[in-house]
Amino acid sequence: MHLFAIYTVDGITNGMVYAAVALALVMIWRATRIINYAQGAMAMFTTYIALIVIRHGSPYWLGFVVALATGLVIGAVTERVLVRPVESRPPLNAVILSLGVLILLEAIAPMLFGGQTQSFPTPVSNIDFSAGGTTLDFSPFDLFTVGAVLVAMLLLFLVFQRTTLGLRMRAAAFNPEIARILGIRVGRMLTLGWGLAAVLGALAGMLAAPSVYLYPSNMDEVLVFGFTGAIIGGLESPVGAVAGAVGVGLALSYVSGYIGSDLAPLGGFVILVVVLMLRPQGLFSFGRQRQV
Amino acid sequence: MSSVLRNSTLVRHGLFFLALAGVLLLLTSFVFDPYTNYNVTEVAIYAICTAGLTVLTGINGQVSLGHGALMMIGAYTTSVLLTWHPDLPLILMLLASIATTAIAGAIVGIAGARLRGPYLAGATLALAVALPQVPSHFASVFGGNQGLNVPTPSPPAFLGGDFSPEEWLAWITLAAAVITFFVLANLVRGAIGRRFRMVRDNEVAARLSGIDVARTQVLAYMISAACAGLAGSLFAYWVTVTSPSGFTLNLSLSLLTAIVIGGLGSLAGAVIGSFILVYLPVWTGGFASSLNLSSNVANNVPLAIYGIVLIVAILVFPRGIAGGIASIVRGAGRIVRSSRGPTALPAAPESPSQ
Amino acid sequence: MLEISDLTVAYGGVVALEHVSLSVPEGSITAVLGANGAGKTTLVRTISGLVKPRSGSVMLGTQQLVGRSPEAIARLGVGHVPEGHGIVSELTVDENLRLGGLWRRDRADQRVAIEEAYELFPPLRVRRAVHASSLSGGERQMLSIGRAMVARPTALLLDEPSLGLAGGLLAQIMQRLVALVTERKLSVLLIEQNARSALSVANQAVVLSLGKVELRDTAERLAGDDALRHAYLGF
Repeated sequence: MHLFAIYTVDGITNGMVYAAVALALVMIWRATRIINYAQGAMAMFTTYIALIVIRHGSPYWLGFVVALATGLVIGAVTERVLVRPVESRPPLNAVILSLGVLILLEAIAPMLFGGQTQSFPTPVSNIDFSAGGTTLDFSPFDLFTVGAVLVAMLLLFLVFQRTTLGLRMRAAAFNPEIARILGIRVGRMLTLGWGLAAVLGALAGMLAAPSVYLYPSNMDEVLVFGFTGAIIGGLESPVGAVAGAVGVGLALSYVSGYIGSDLAPLGGFVILVVVLMLRPQGLFSFGRQRQV
Repeated sequence: MSSVLRNSTLVRHGLFFLALAGVLLLLTSFVFDPYTNYNVTEVAIYAICTAGLTVLTGINGQVSLGHGALMMIGAYTTSVLLTWHPDLPLILMLLASIATTAIAGAIVGIAGARLRGPYLAGATLALAVALPQVPSHFASVFGGNQGLNVPTPSPPAFLGGDFSPEEWLAWITLAAAVITFFVLANLVRGAIGRRFRMVRDNEVAARLSGIDVARTQVLAYMISAACAGLAGSLFAYWVTVTSPSGFTLNLSLSLLTAIVIGGLGSLAGAVIGSFILVYLPVWTGGFASSLNLSSNVANNVPLAIYGIVLIVAILVFPRGIAGGIASIVRGAGRIVRSSRGPTALPAAPESPSQ
Repeated sequence: MLEISDLTVAYGGVVALEHVSLSVPEGSITAVLGANGAGKTTLVRTISGLVKPRSGSVMLGTQQLVGRSPEAIARLGVGHVPEGHGIVSELTVDENLRLGGLWRRDRADQRVAIEEAYELFPPLRVRRAVHASSLSGGERQMLSIGRAMVARPTALLLDEPSLGLAGGLLAQIMQRLVALVTERKLSVLLIEQNARSALSVANQAVVLSLGKVELRDTAERLAGDDALRHAYLGF
């Protein structure tokens, strides 16, 4: 029973990290109908930059901010320069393009930062709380992880639902042609969308690095699990993405704990396939049936 | 009438590949040194896999990021069987690997038959990341991270006692490649290839003309998986140690790069792509060491180049270089015409959709 | 004043519009009539920038529209009410209306403009917080027109507003609009297959056939001349 509690806490904490990635993927999908397979690699890159900042004597928080800011820039530049030309072409092109970015980033990273596995600091303690003699099953960093993603989600919600910028971005995502004839600079909205998504990704990278460590392909699994969560949620629904991702986190945690950690990714694959076979449009996708 | 034509295509293909086989035989026996034979074997192995992959993606339109995992299934099938019974004949191992991987391909194909585009890509990506960890878990069967050893096949007696095993493996692999390409070439030109294309271009129309779309998709996957399985089996013999580290996500991404370079759907392009896949690290490795670059840089130059190539290829030649030579010419013509001509933004009434 | 001169548009080899010229004076409604495929929608989409012409010019006052992006054209004062109304169903009625003038800097005037849109189409006010997907056909058309008006355009392009609307409803909507047209000196281009209802509100009429201008006349004359009407409009 105690193990169950540990696995559950792990599942939720990991799930929230996957949720950040899932949200990023959903944002980009809704705006440009593209899956950014390089989202994880971008996050890896921004995390490395944060590490450099921190290693040079700066506090963690500066590194954190730098990571998010770099994420914004990388996301925006990628959309404007690389993705814009393929947005109107067949989907296969965007798949290959984002894979190209993934490969490139994972190749450049070891050149710039070295290929060896590195540890990554946490802003608060990673050691489980103890209260009155007993250790609880979660640490300050676990709380921070969950909290940070929740705050990010809240901020995004506020921006999208309560600001005119958010209204413009939503219009640009829902119906770009109509948005255009209403005077909205759709291109800029898409660039911003990719930038914000990359900020989410950068957050995920910072939150994941302490436990998965930092090496060029450290975010591959996180990306896959975030993607699985987003798919389960249906790719159209941010709420679904988060729910799906947390669900994936929990499921993987149980598989990892009770069966074996090597098989967790396989468990994720099975979940993904089962969901897609039962409900190809995802669990939370209503009405708007997109071409699966 | 059509059967005569078909037969003549078959005959033409048959003659071509027979001649090709002959040329390769001569080259490997008398021209290539052992090191080149070694590399050529590797090229042939990848070519077998990329041929199947380019048919799947280029002609049938299904994306797969999991072909590295499928190769792994083929490799491990052979390796596990050989670990139990080291004397099993090679041809049996090849067939066994083809069988198991084709079955796996069928399973993935069935699961993926309703998936399109990014959904299918994501599912195969999940497979590519997940499968390499399975051998680590069932270490007793699969040898864990150290892997399983695979003996190099020894040449048959009639070739003489001092016939090099590398050359023998090169012959086998090249023969397998020639046969694979012969089969695929006929398939691509035949009814099955037509069905693949129809489903790729317009699923609704294909269904309306009576094509069982799901079955077509599964068939395409099985065929490409069979190729991956054959390649995987030969790969096991060639690398002599089958371990998870040989089948990372990078392998799947490299295979995809190879078919993009060569041109999606082009069998000749699959060979070109495989050639680059093998020789690029060789060339850049030599180049890097002459510049005294650190291993961190040197080892990753090929990958960086793949990334750049994919990005550039898609931006400049949306259909890959082999298709790209034709499209450069056509593209130039289009540029000349479109300087006066109209362009419609994608939402125009007649714009084609995927 | 919207001035279209010698406009030629082709899609991949098919010529949709050929040397089309027409003027839409201020404070008037010009109906563009013709059968399906005559090029009417292409004309509108070219003016609003969604389609690039092969040659010709579109002038809004002194500004050349050809070559500009759709967003730039909208910001110059062209309101486009697209075929099939084009409301964003995921947004509420109020959000749809606000979309119309988001690019304008005068926020105070924006709020006034939105209020005016509700005045123009009272049924919308009741449903302002409702998702646009649950509106009826008539309400959607009202929303689409109201949305275009919020930007205070100088030119208004209406593409087949009657589609899916009962005849009486369209007349009602158009009546409300007619007053605004003269008051604000709007240049209105009205694309319609339903020639009868279009002619009842328009000042001028142009008949397109296979991409060319076949007939140009005042609406009154065209509606009154039976032979002409019969020949070009089939009724």
